[in-house]
Amino acid sequence: MSREQIFEALQSVFDDVFQEPVKVSPELSANDVDEWDSITHINVVVAIEQRLGIRFRVGEVEATRNVGDFADLIQRRLAESAR
Amino acid sequence: MSASLPVDSQSLKRLLAERDPEFFATLARATASCGSFSEMVALSTFRKRAAKLGFQPASAATTLRLAMVGGCSLFPLGDLVQHCLETSAHGPRRRVELFTGAYDNYVSEIMTPDSSLYEFKPDLIFVIPSERQCKYSGTLFDSRDQQEAQARKTAADLLALCRMAQERSGAELLMANFRLPAEFDPGPYRGKSAASDWTFRKLVNLELGLSAPSSIQICDIEFLSSRYGTLLSSDHRGWFESKQPYALDFQVLVAREVSHIAGRLRGGPKKVVVLDLDNTLWGGVVGDDGLDGIEIGDTSPRGEAFKAFQAYLKSLGERGILLAVCSKNDHARAVEPFERHPEMVLRMKDFASFQANWEPKSENLRRIASELNLGLDSFVFVDDNPAEIEIVRQFVPEVETVLLGPDPSEYVRELQDGRYFEALNITREDAERVTQYQVEAQREQLLASSTDMPSYLRSLGMTAVITGFQSVDVPRIAQLINKSNQFNLTTRRRTELEVRSVIADPAYRGFTVRLSDRFGDHGLISVVICRIGGECMEVDTWLMSCRVLKRQVEEEVVNEMVRIALESGCTRLTGRYIPTAKNEMVSDLYPRMGFRVVSRTGTPASEGEVEYALVPGDYQKVETAIAVTLKSL
Repeated sequence: MSREQIFEALQSVFDDVFQEPVKVSPELSANDVDEWDSITHINVVVAIEQRLGIRFRVGEVEATRNVGDFADLIQRRLAESAR
Repeated sequence: MSASLPVDSQSLKRLLAERDPEFFATLARATASCGSFSEMVALSTFRKRAAKLGFQPASAATTLRLAMVGGCSLFPLGDLVQHCLETSAHGPRRRVELFTGAYDNYVSEIMTPDSSLYEFKPDLIFVIPSERQCKYSGTLFDSRDQQEAQARKTAADLLALCRMAQERSGAELLMANFRLPAEFDPGPYRGKSAASDWTFRKLVNLELGLSAPSSIQICDIEFLSSRYGTLLSSDHRGWFESKQPYALDFQVLVAREVSHIAGRLRGGPKKVVVLDLDNTLWGGVVGDDGLDGIEIGDTSPRGEAFKAFQAYLKSLGERGILLAVCSKNDHARAVEPFERHPEMVLRMKDFASFQANWEPKSENLRRIASELNLGLDSFVFVDDNPAEIEIVRQFVPEVETVLLGPDPSEYVRELQDGRYFEALNITREDAERVTQYQVEAQREQLLASSTDMPSYLRSLGMTAVITGFQSVDVPRIAQLINKSNQFNLTTRRRTELEVRSVIADPAYRGFTVRLSDRFGDHGLISVVICRIGGECMEVDTWLMSCRVLKRQVEEEVVNEMVRIALESGCTRLTGRYIPTAKNEMVSDLYPRMGFRVVSRTGTPASEGEVEYALVPGDYQKVETAIAVTLKSL
């Protein structure tokens, strides 16, 4: 899956989770979105796992600072499950 | 995600945009059946959004101050509980003020008199004790007494902690018990030692439930997770990352349970269940299909399902829930099955009110409410027709409605899933106490006498009804004739039409036996057809359901055969055993009943067939433990 496709998947998850339109970008973080509280954060992670059929390892998501970091992590997990 | 929502988020969006009050009812229904974390977060976002826009339900809200403390993180569980409580359509509308304790700080929060927990002044405290501390501290090989004593102490300590919190705060108290572990270790031995987590937690849970005073409620996590799956309800990553007590989807179920119990603390269970008739209590339409045409009873799987639903309703009645009928039917036709159909479990006397007419159901519900002098908000209305449910929702919104699905085998579950009739402390209710004592006494009596067959039979309190063939029973009679293989002396098959011609022919005398005991109704379990020719009466067909074997029904059947033979002036009663691959069970039945052999046929075609006879005038009636009623023979 290309980086563009990962961002498309993220955009579609964000469209479902947030009621206000939120445009995803690599720099975007929870601080930039009103509705992005801790519970929606968990929900974004769960939704991405379900949609892409991957599972993050313990502690990995916490280490990401923004959507760009998160996309990198998704890419690593996807590459691994493709092997 | 949105595709899997119980209601589609588009319609919620639209209702919210239009400020339609239906938004809140839709949100409540979706929440009450929600089983996934993503869905509930989506629903919760809708609720928060509405609040932010200043859009609120019309009714006034009371505030519930809820404190949650425990040996785990209380986020996001607290938010989920708050969502369930605030959207719940049961009882008055609530606004929740939420306090969540610090991770694993619950013991000190409760023990310190001026802790922030008590400063919060909670109305309700929910305690989730630490699962990791619910552990046996000795070895697998300690004595059983030692292990059990520690389980009792663990439970007693937790209950003492709850009592302290209750005394200091004056709040209602709810405590979670423990999930059972999903891990294999220590292997099959886990069940053989109270020191394994598996057995130890079970013991602690048992002790918590059995010793909790009525002022402390137990949130039965063991039950919920067993029902859901212990493996599915655990999430180790969630524990290590953020001290989550349970998997996220399971937290949704826990939140719904807490909300349910909190609702019960304020409002009691519903008092009346109002039932439709056609396709609700039986299959078919009695007005069109007639008494013989409706599906009820053991003749068909569908009939059995309706009978089971009636039995469940009857058990609700025995628990003190009033039953009522609200049906679009002619009164006379609607009453007929209750008065005349032998397979019905419910009878007219089981109903507190019976409205069968052509008025709108909403009007009839009001009539029932005034007849019983009970509020409509204590009513649950059950119907298989969506249009009727819709009318009731619109015109008597106080009434809870249950729309039955297309499969009657699901009816009991569908009614139970609404959880309308659960009481928190059933022991408080005298009616139930009486029943419990009765059941216990029955068990003890049975236990005491089960070593001795005659007293066991007497203790069953059996009653039988012996009836000449009647039209309503024909489907069941034909069914037994065509499927009974083991207890069947001649294995002669007959169609329904042929059974009807037996009824019409004066040379035939057919009768059926129904058996009940105090544990329940076995229904129609035996069929006999006799043919009278001059002074001889021959048993053409004799069969019985095997589940009532050796209950003395056989003896009562012979008593009845002899009675009919004497009444018809017969001097000879004959019967034959025609062996098949499956009816070995009854090869010695006639001799056991006092018949003697007349002839044995040795032809290859009828190998082993034996004819027996008995002189009715010489027969000594057998006294049994069954109280027999003879009907219309």
